[in-house]
Amino acid sequence: MTDPLQALLIGGSILLVVAVIFFPKYGLIARWSRAKRGIKRVQIEDALKHIYDCEYNNIPCTVQSIAGALVISSDDAAELVARLSSMGLLLTLDNGVKLTADGNSYALRVIRVHRLWERYLADETSVPQTEWHSSAELQEHKLTPAQTEALAAQIGNPHFDPHGDPIPTPTGEIPPKKGRSFLSMNQGDFGVITHIEDEPEAVFAQLSAEGLYVGMHIMLIERSNERVRFAADGDEIVLAPVLANNITVEMLENEKEKIVSPMDTLASINIGEEATVLNISKACRGQQRRRLLDLGIVPGTKVRAEMRSASGDPTAYNVRGALVALRKQHAQMIFVQK
Amino acid sequence: MTNKESILSTANALRWEIGENIHDSLVESIYKEAQSITSNVVKTPAEKARFNFDVTLDRILTSRWLGFPLMFLMLAVVFWLTVEGANVPSAMIAAVLVDTVHPWLREIFAALNSPWWLTGIMVDGVWLAMAWVVSVMLPPMAIFFPLFTLLEDFGYLPRVAFNMDALFKKAGAHGKQALSLTMGFGCNAAGVVATRIIDSPRERLIAIITNNFSLCNGRWPTQILIASVFFGALVPAHLAGIVTAGAVVGVAVLGIAFTLIVSWGLSKTILKGEASAFSLELPPYRPPRILQTLYTSLIDRTLIVLWRAIVFAAPAGAVIWLVSNIHIGDLSIAEQFINWSNPFGILLGLNGVILLAYIIAIPANEIVIPTVLMLTVLSAKLSGVGDGAGVMFELDETNAVANVLQAGGWTFLTGLNLMLFSLLHNPCSTTIYTIYKETKSVKWTTIASILPVVMGIVICFFVAQLYRLIIQ
Repeated sequence: MTDPLQALLIGGSILLVVAVIFFPKYGLIARWSRAKRGIKRVQIEDALKHIYDCEYNNIPCTVQSIAGALVISSDDAAELVARLSSMGLLLTLDNGVKLTADGNSYALRVIRVHRLWERYLADETSVPQTEWHSSAELQEHKLTPAQTEALAAQIGNPHFDPHGDPIPTPTGEIPPKKGRSFLSMNQGDFGVITHIEDEPEAVFAQLSAEGLYVGMHIMLIERSNERVRFAADGDEIVLAPVLANNITVEMLENEKEKIVSPMDTLASINIGEEATVLNISKACRGQQRRRLLDLGIVPGTKVRAEMRSASGDPTAYNVRGALVALRKQHAQMIFVQK
Repeated sequence: MTNKESILSTANALRWEIGENIHDSLVESIYKEAQSITSNVVKTPAEKARFNFDVTLDRILTSRWLGFPLMFLMLAVVFWLTVEGANVPSAMIAAVLVDTVHPWLREIFAALNSPWWLTGIMVDGVWLAMAWVVSVMLPPMAIFFPLFTLLEDFGYLPRVAFNMDALFKKAGAHGKQALSLTMGFGCNAAGVVATRIIDSPRERLIAIITNNFSLCNGRWPTQILIASVFFGALVPAHLAGIVTAGAVVGVAVLGIAFTLIVSWGLSKTILKGEASAFSLELPPYRPPRILQTLYTSLIDRTLIVLWRAIVFAAPAGAVIWLVSNIHIGDLSIAEQFINWSNPFGILLGLNGVILLAYIIAIPANEIVIPTVLMLTVLSAKLSGVGDGAGVMFELDETNAVANVLQAGGWTFLTGLNLMLFSLLHNPCSTTIYTIYKETKSVKWTTIASILPVVMGIVICFFVAQLYRLIIQ
């Protein structure tokens, strides 16, 4: 019979090898699929996307900024620019580079896949939002035009990605940029978030950890060089200006939409209390949002908290005569008037 | 530009203005319209609060202190009724099908001058396998399913899901999985069908893939027998019963732990790509319709599952008889395979007999023990027990079983690992087929079938090595 200690060691090392190969994110397979990003076509597409972004946001684009965005050396970036020019996708000007019409439509096709994929992940899967961008970065180079159109049709030809960016149409149409930087707001101004930039990843993770989402109503309370203090759906949030700069807003003129005090959510009402639904937060997406709407949780619906589970969550609510249990995390996304 | 084109381009430009809220606004206006119609034509009585009885019952059943004890009590009663109630009819069915009809069929075949191999395949193989499945499976299911359906009909089961949701939420699953899990204790195939109540795709797949970790009633007899032979024998006779029961319950609880751990792992990895949404409707309590419930649970659940099991068990019986009776060289196929696979079995703390039994008894867990006993007698060349090669049998006395198994070279470790492997192995073919019918996906069916057996092999292997290192 095999020596148990020896068998144990062999068995342990087999497990280790399997883990090294298959482990999510850090395993060899995961690394290998990320490493494919280094190949030429991927670099070309990423560079086009970066230049397009610069033009869309009116920021000068240079070889240096391309090198920074793609995490490659300046020499490689210069070589890449030369290659793009020779392909007729790019014009080199005195103050930087500019896309040709061909380059522009190529970039829009890549961006279309990227944003559609993020919309798909947000609505049809349970992938956490901090992983949307990195997944879309891989998919945008993989999907064929036919697959892209099938995906668009499957999710109902959406017009905006979950960060609020417009998704280019198959023919490359995209509306002009709207909204203004958050930092251009004055104290006491009301606005609604129209876009949260998802790059760099660490900044986006921080913003989403604060619970900010596209469609959120905000009011600037105070701004200094060190910090920006504002009310988001009535709750006070403090951000460093460098973070706040990644948020785009549109000014609110309609008095009724201005939210001053913190809004109550369905999660905050006590058992036996009744409240009227104001709206469902934009952070509640896809299937979950449709489920709530289908249950009749729409603005104006009266909802009463009936009882709490023996373990404290979920809570059962009386909605239009039916007893419906909702988890706290979802009840928190339904704003109500007590 | 023609008129049509200009309209289309205006429409396209306006799409950007509509924004994302179009779906919300549509639903909102539909509800507004419906509400204005109903308020015009429907008269509601003044009293609008929920019926008092419902409210009181809900308060008790979901209260912090009473909610869980009442739930465990209710489930304990259901299990007790199932186990106690099934013993007698099981023995009766076995007495008829195995002890009376089986010899009688043999005589008929002999009277018709049937060749010995035809008698073997049909009577000792096919008939016995079907008889065993029916006698072990039918009575518990015929008790468990109607009881379960009554609780469901009454409206209690949604409250269980409501109370259990916090635990399942941590594992990335849905509270209703508590129900399919409990149903799995009756039969995994029925448990898989029961996941239909989970309407969120990700949570439903989790419930389907992990249902096999619920110890089904085909596996309870194996657990109880092996526990009493190996665990009960460790302690003085008056403690044997408690220790045996403790060991079996321990394995069942281990199964629930695996359900939660594997659910968590699946929701974080391969099932991330599936959509997830939570809502749970709590219907009003209704007096259960007993006759209708009896009929539907017998027809929908018991008989369909039993029929599927019989269909799968019949060919398995033939295979069991054939591998024990077809000889290659001096030994039967079964003995050849047992000798060949024994070193691997020993490495896992099992043996070749167990491996072969689990391969040829895939159709039904019920026939694992009879097959193990028959194969042990066959391969250890014991005399005086059993009915011959390929004829499955069971022994009434625990001691007699212990003697056979010890003669076959079993140790405490073999017993322990058999109990673990009985919990962690591929679902029976009835369940695999049901998983395929429910998911319509070869991928998820394969994962649900392979994952538990891989876990079983890994866990048995490490338990065996540690046991040998530390205890022996």
